[in-house]
Formats: sequence, C-alpha cells, structure tokens
Amino acid sequence: MQLFLQILANGVLLGGLYTLMALGLALVWGVLNIVNLAHGAFIMLGAYACYYLFTLGHIDPFAALPIGAIGLFGIGYATQRCILNLVMRAPIFDTLLITFGLEVVFTYLAQLAFSADFRTINPSYAGANVTVAGITFPLVRIAAFVIALGLTAVMWLLLLRSRLGRAIRATAQNLTAARLYGAEPRHLYAITFGLGAALAGAAGGLYGVVSQINPYIGATLTAKSFAISIIGGLESPLGVIVGGLALGIVESLTALYIGPTFTNVASFGILVLVLIIRPTGLLGRTT
Amino acid sequence: MKPVIHLPLIVVAVVFLGAVPWFGCDVLTQFGINVLLLAVLAQSWNIIGGFTGYPSFGNSVFYGLGSYGVAIAMVQWKWSFGVGLLFGVALAVAFALLLGLPVLRLRGHYFAIATLALGQVMTAIVSNVELAGRNIGLVLPILKNNVLFYELSLIVLAAVTLTVVWLTRSRFGFGLIAIRENEEAAAVMGINTTLYKVLAFTLSGAFTALAGGIHAYWITFLDPESAFDISLNVKMIIMTVFGGSGTVFGPLFGAFLLSGISEMLATEMTSVASLFFGMVIVVAVVLTPRGLVDLTRCIRAQGWRYLSRNIRSHRL
Repeated sequence: MQLFLQILANGVLLGGLYTLMALGLALVWGVLNIVNLAHGAFIMLGAYACYYLFTLGHIDPFAALPIGAIGLFGIGYATQRCILNLVMRAPIFDTLLITFGLEVVFTYLAQLAFSADFRTINPSYAGANVTVAGITFPLVRIAAFVIALGLTAVMWLLLLRSRLGRAIRATAQNLTAARLYGAEPRHLYAITFGLGAALAGAAGGLYGVVSQINPYIGATLTAKSFAISIIGGLESPLGVIVGGLALGIVESLTALYIGPTFTNVASFGILVLVLIIRPTGLLGRTT
Repeated sequence: MKPVIHLPLIVVAVVFLGAVPWFGCDVLTQFGINVLLLAVLAQSWNIIGGFTGYPSFGNSVFYGLGSYGVAIAMVQWKWSFGVGLLFGVALAVAFALLLGLPVLRLRGHYFAIATLALGQVMTAIVSNVELAGRNIGLVLPILKNNVLFYELSLIVLAAVTLTVVWLTRSRFGFGLIAIRENEEAAAVMGINTTLYKVLAFTLSGAFTALAGGIHAYWITFLDPESAFDISLNVKMIIMTVFGGSGTVFGPLFGAFLLSGISEMLATEMTSVASLFFGMVIVVAVVLTPRGLVDLTRCIRAQGWRYLSRNIRSHRL
C-alpha cells in the first residue's frame, strides 16, 4: 500500500508537468486548428535555454523559466507570423506536414548547436525531499507541479477574462466576424502560437530540472502532449489537467506493475483507444 | 483525364536502371538499393496517403513487420528468404486488416496521430517479445549479393508503380480518389468506403513490408528502434509530397531527387542531411503544395506567378 501510494504520488507530480506540456499544444490546436508537431521541439528548446542560463549564466533554473518562456514566445511568434500564416487556409495535412518540417529543423539545429549529449540541470537543492506520512516528495518535482498548475490557471484566466483572451477566442470561433470587430487575426494567431511556445518553453525548463534532455526528446513529448489533449479534450484547461494527471498516473503504475519498458504501450495504447471510442476526449462534448 | 505515359521512354528507363549493377561500381549499387527501396516506400505511401487521402504515419509499422517477418523466419525458424518475405507481408496484411478497421474511421489529425501512436506501441511491444530478440534485435545470415538485392528492389518498385498506374484507371482507384475528395459523397455514390480504405491500407502495407523484408536481409541486422523508425515514415511522406502525391511519377521523382541530394549532403555530415529534409518540407508545403509534377506542368503556363499564386491561395 505504501508503495502504491508512493507511485501514485510520483504519477500525480509527473502529471502536473505533463499538463503544462500539453497546455500549449491544446491552446494552439483549439484556437488555430493546427496540431503543432514542433511543440516537442519548443519544449526541448526551453529545456536548453534553462540549461544554458543555469550553467553559463549561473541563474537559478526556476528564475530562468520566465526568460526561457519569453525567448520561446519570440520564436513562436516569428514562426507563426512568417511561416505558418502562409498556410492557414491550406488543407489540414499541409499544416501537419509543415510543423513536422519545423520540428526536424529545430531538432537538428539544436543538435548542431548543443551536440547530442545528454544534459541535466542540477541545482544544489536537486536531491532535497519532503516526507509526508512515509511518502517521499522530491522538492523540485513539487515545485514543478505547483508552477505547472499555476501557469495553467493563469492561462485559463487570461483566456477567459482579458481583452486579449476574448479576442483570441472570438477569432477561433468566427474569423470573419472577429475581423469585422477589429481583431487582427495575423497578429492574434501569432500571439496565440507564441503563448503556446512560451508554455512549452516553461514546461521544457521544468522537464530539464526533473529529467535528462537531449535534442531528440521532442517527438515523444509531442506525442504525449497530443495524447493528453485527446484524453482530456480541447474544451477547457480542466480537460488538459485531467488528461495530464491520468497519463502521469498510468505511466507510473505501468512502470511498477507491468514493467518500465511498457510505459509507452500503456500511454499510446490509451491514446489509440480513446481516439477510437471517444474522439472528442473523455470530458469533451459528443457531437 | 488519363495521364500521358510515354511507354518507350519508360522501358528504356527501366532497362537502364536494371543494368546499373553491371556497369556501376559497388557504391553506386548500394546507393541504388537504398534509393529504390525508398522509392518503393514513397510509392506505397502514395496509395493510402496520396490517393485515398489518409496521411498515414503508421507505414513504418508495416516496414518493421516486414523486416521482422524475414528476420524471425530466417533466424528463428530457418525458413528461406522468399518464405520469410511472404511471412512479413502476411504480418503486415493482418495488421492492416485488424487495425485498419478501427483506425481508418478517424480522419485528418486524428488518423495521423493514431497511426503515429501505433508505431510507438509496436516498437515497445516488439522490444518485449522473446521471439523477436527483445530490444537487442536479430542478426540475419550474411548474403553478399548486392545485384540480387538491387534487382529485387527494382522488381518490387515496378510492381508497386504498376499498381499505382492501375489505380489511375480502375474503378477501385477512382473510388479511392472519390474518398479523398469527399468521403460522404463517395459513400452516397455507392462506394463501400470502409472496404476501399482497408484495401488501400492493406495494399500500401504489403508493398511497404516487402521493402522492409528486403532491407532487413540486405543489412543483416535489425532492432526495434531502427525497424520501426518513424523518420523513415517521414521520408516517405516528404518524398511523395515533394514529388506530387496522388500521381504516378511524383513519388519516384521525389525519392530519386531527394535521396540523391541527401546522400551528397550526408557525406559532409548526417545531421545536415536531416536539416535539409526539414527545410525541404517547409519550403515545399509553402511554395509547391501539390508537388514537383504539378510544378513542372503549371510553371510553363504561368511562369513564376505559379509560386506566388500558391502562397496567395493559402495564406491568412
């Protein structure tokens, strides 16, 4: 029982990070109708930003998160403004393909720039733990979990309450009407994509703190983010949270009870099942 | 409109290609095997992705099943290569029939990602199967006969290309194109869309498995990571889209041209070749979304305006 609770706790903490990873993908998908296959590459770039700010700039990794996120926002904004806006009216497959091309470009640029070696972000407090009722919580994972859920909440509020959020939602619902009311879709789309990339950047920094990074982590993380968005549905950040936690818990339990080599079978198996049975997500509305 | 096909030209091209191992050096033959197999993969993907309009990211699963079919048959059961190939194809067909039914109900993004996920699941499953050598992989008996592999690849390429030619002029092929253009309309017109889609998936899978099987025996080693490598699937898609998906010769052009260039770049540095592939996709999707075949056809009439017209028709 103790072991089960420990694994459950690990899964929940991992799930919080997964939520933040998937949030950017879900945002871009929901608003722009682009499944951004370069999302994982943005996460990877965010992780490297954090790594270099920490090792070369001696900035605490958690303080480096906002800097990395702002940098990624810039990259995301430029990507949408200069490239993706050119294919917004093309068939869905074209946007899928072009973001895949971007993912390849970012991955191999990263490989040329940062080398293929594994890197870890290791602050002095990396090994610190808190023990509650016999269950150990690593401090950095708790911090990552709290920041991830905090950012998710902030994002939700931004979309619901702010003028920018309303404009983004309006553009997503009806492009023509939003244009008539003075929304500038090219700019708004780029802002949205930039926000997605910034979330990925923050998630990447946290990922770098709790795990190892190399230029190729992107593809798997994109697939996981997609799985989470699918499991939770694109309707609200709540769905993404549910999806993220579900994936985290399932992966941890699978690793313990079936075997660590089966985690991908479990997570992607669930993805395929959910897709087949309920393509709008577990919390999504049925059409 | 039936595509114009210059028969004598094609015969000359095939004879020329078939003669390459006799006058070319070893390096050229080996490069040739690679290119021909990639062309087979691109042309197979063309059946499901180009004609039927279902962007499969799961064709690398067929490739892996073909490879493992040959490897398991030859290493574990001591069967001959030919029987191994058939076994691999049988595995791929079984997979396409079993999983095609549920997965082909999904469309667009959902289909693409579901097939992408299937690839990941298969890699993980195969790395846990004793018979397939777990994650260490299998080592096949060595056969140093590049000419045989070359001609075999050429035959498979000819077969899959003929199949695609047949698609452009048969009831079945028209049915697939109708599904691509408008699936509901196709169903209303009396096409059994489920059957057609599953058959197209199976056909695509069978040829992909053949390529995988030949490659496995040629390379004599395989492990789950390389057999189910998703980047191979990406190459098929890029080559097809770059050349012109849904056409007979587009995937061939794409495969020959892009492998040629990437081979030259790879002699400098492997990562540069991959970077080049990524850039090609981005540029091709923006400038020539319908591929080289369409480009060569339209650029004569419209000149460079063709490119700006493509951008204008799709930008926000």
